[in-house]
Amino acid sequence: MKNVLLIIKKEFNRFFKDRRMILMLFLPGLLIFCLYSLIGTVMEKAAPTIPEGYKPTVYFCRLPDGFLSENDLKLLEGKDFETLEEAKSNVAEGTLDIVVEFQANFTAAVEGSSRPEVKVYYNSSVQTSIVGYTLATGILSGHNAFTVNSTPTEKFDLVDEDEQVTNIFAMVIPLLMFSLLASSCISVAPEAIAGEKERGTMATMLITPVKRIEIVLGKILSLSCYAMLSGIISFLGVILSLPKLSGGLLNLGAVSYGVGTYFMLFGLIISIVLVMISAFSVLSTLAKNVKEATAFIGPLMLVIILLGMSSMFFTNPSVGLYAIPFIGSGIAMSAVLSTTASALGVVLAILSNLVLTALLVVLMGFMFKKENIMLKK
Amino acid sequence: MEEILKVEGLTKTFKQPKKLFKKAEGPETVVAVNNLSFAAYKGEIFGLLGPNGAGKTTTLRILATLIKPDSGNAHICGKSVVSEEDEVRKKIGFLTSELKLEDAFTPDYLFDFFSGLYGIDKSIAQSRKFSLFQKFGIDAFKNQKYGNLSTGMKQKVALVVSIAHDPEFIIFDEPTNGLDVLTARVVTDFLQELRADGKTIILSTHIFSLVEKLCDRVGILIDGKLAALDTLENLTKEKNLEDTFFELYEKVTGAKI
Ligand SMILES: Nc1ncnc2c1ncn2[C@@H]1O[C@H](COP(=O)(O)OP(=O)(O)O)[C@@H](O)[C@H]1O
Ligand SMILES: [Mg+2]
Repeated sequence: MKNVLLIIKKEFNRFFKDRRMILMLFLPGLLIFCLYSLIGTVMEKAAPTIPEGYKPTVYFCRLPDGFLSENDLKLLEGKDFETLEEAKSNVAEGTLDIVVEFQANFTAAVEGSSRPEVKVYYNSSVQTSIVGYTLATGILSGHNAFTVNSTPTEKFDLVDEDEQVTNIFAMVIPLLMFSLLASSCISVAPEAIAGEKERGTMATMLITPVKRIEIVLGKILSLSCYAMLSGIISFLGVILSLPKLSGGLLNLGAVSYGVGTYFMLFGLIISIVLVMISAFSVLSTLAKNVKEATAFIGPLMLVIILLGMSSMFFTNPSVGLYAIPFIGSGIAMSAVLSTTASALGVVLAILSNLVLTALLVVLMGFMFKKENIMLKK
Repeated sequence: MEEILKVEGLTKTFKQPKKLFKKAEGPETVVAVNNLSFAAYKGEIFGLLGPNGAGKTTTLRILATLIKPDSGNAHICGKSVVSEEDEVRKKIGFLTSELKLEDAFTPDYLFDFFSGLYGIDKSIAQSRKFSLFQKFGIDAFKNQKYGNLSTGMKQKVALVVSIAHDPEFIIFDEPTNGLDVLTARVVTDFLQELRADGKTIILSTHIFSLVEKLCDRVGILIDGKLAALDTLENLTKEKNLEDTFFELYEKVTGAKI
């Protein structure tokens, strides 16, 4: 283990002594951020803005007399509909901003000791609806006598499923993440393994009493850290530029992920990087120089990205699919981001990645013992 | 005499790369080392003398555990290069232009890294580094990148790093090849010093004067086979080493020089 650490430390030393490597660490993330922000700014100019003094339209259902003050009512524009259902479908279509529904016998319930509920329906794909929702919940908040949108099973966001922001996220992010991670892996693996073979520095390490598997582990772990860091910086570039990019089109205010989501996402990213680095490293070990390694990895990288992308086409994946390398990770990431992931599926995807990594590491350990692979000229 | 190296029936065959024999129409395989047996004793410099392609480098690479023989075995300090590689690796230092150091690191770091890989105690490594760096004049350059050093300084650093762990047995492929005269002198002097310290050295060369200057015993390698194996004294009793060599060469290969 001590030797693994020594090799990891050496690799880090190499990364951070090399200005090009440091640049490569930040460059993709920075580029994505600048590019997306720019596109966002251009789109924002084109997108319709909410006019000054706009009053969100609202349908009140069973509004108790005198419940809202004159001042509060002035902020909204009341509309009439025949039924609650009709009003709700107007929200879904975007022709009405919000619906505020009071429970039957609301006043009596408030005077009794039970806490009745006020339901505010909105549509997260419509900017003015979000404004209305924010306004209404603002007015209604801070009361102990009743609750707002407290039924956990009810969907208050009436957005059409297909338009949902989370779904766009869920579709685009896995593809983006797979591409970013794969490109940061390909920027380090050939150099660190085929490069060392080509330059003759690998052989120098091979005549020391270090175990072959220790060299392999040291390489895989340090390369994975670098690729992870680069991948996460790219990911941050995406996340930070999204609000700008979304402009008037996406309302990210409506998307908020819990700690669990980020945790699962992080686990997935780590395990995906480990598999990618190990797979690329195996090919880099087979290659006799950096050029050849890059040529070997290119097609594999394409396949991996395509597999990750294929997750888009599984609308209702069975648990077994999660265990397939890359496809499973894509599905899992997609599911995590649309908050429909089962913990079992995510764990399965991560585990299958780790098992594959272990197999590849063992394979590489064997390859490192083969003179016609390691000393190929 | 304590036997440090024992080589028994070492044989290594290479498949020639396809591209080569397409135009050359040569044989598909080359027997680089053919049933080689010899020994080296504690405190001596053993020389493998032979022309290009004789199998010197192949022999030394097998001894250094970099490649495996097809048959036969060699023991260094009683450990087999075939089945106890890790034990052998602790006991040997291998020097050859084939092994490179990374350009991005300083001599100081390279020494620490490799002595770490050999599991040398930190304080012992530090004092060894200090004296070796001083001896070879590396001190002034120890914090410069290896890639920026002069060729001579690079070679000295490579030498020092390869013996960071104070090996019992030193394997040196073509010691003075590509060295400038000054560095070559430093290296040959150092080899004699190592011998005086009781280290055992095997070196390969095609330079007669080097053998005459350094070696105690000599194996003359021609076409992967030992054509002669004796002390330098016996080999140079009747004629000089060069004449002895060419006489053997004509006898073995049937070629007229
Ligand atoms: N890795 C290899 N693959 C194929 N042939 C090789 C390889 N290494 C050496 N040879 C062949 O083996 C023979 C001996 O080579 P070598 O040991 O390098 O000789 P020397 O060091 O005495 O010049 C040569 O014919 C060489 O072409
Ligand atoms: Mg040679």
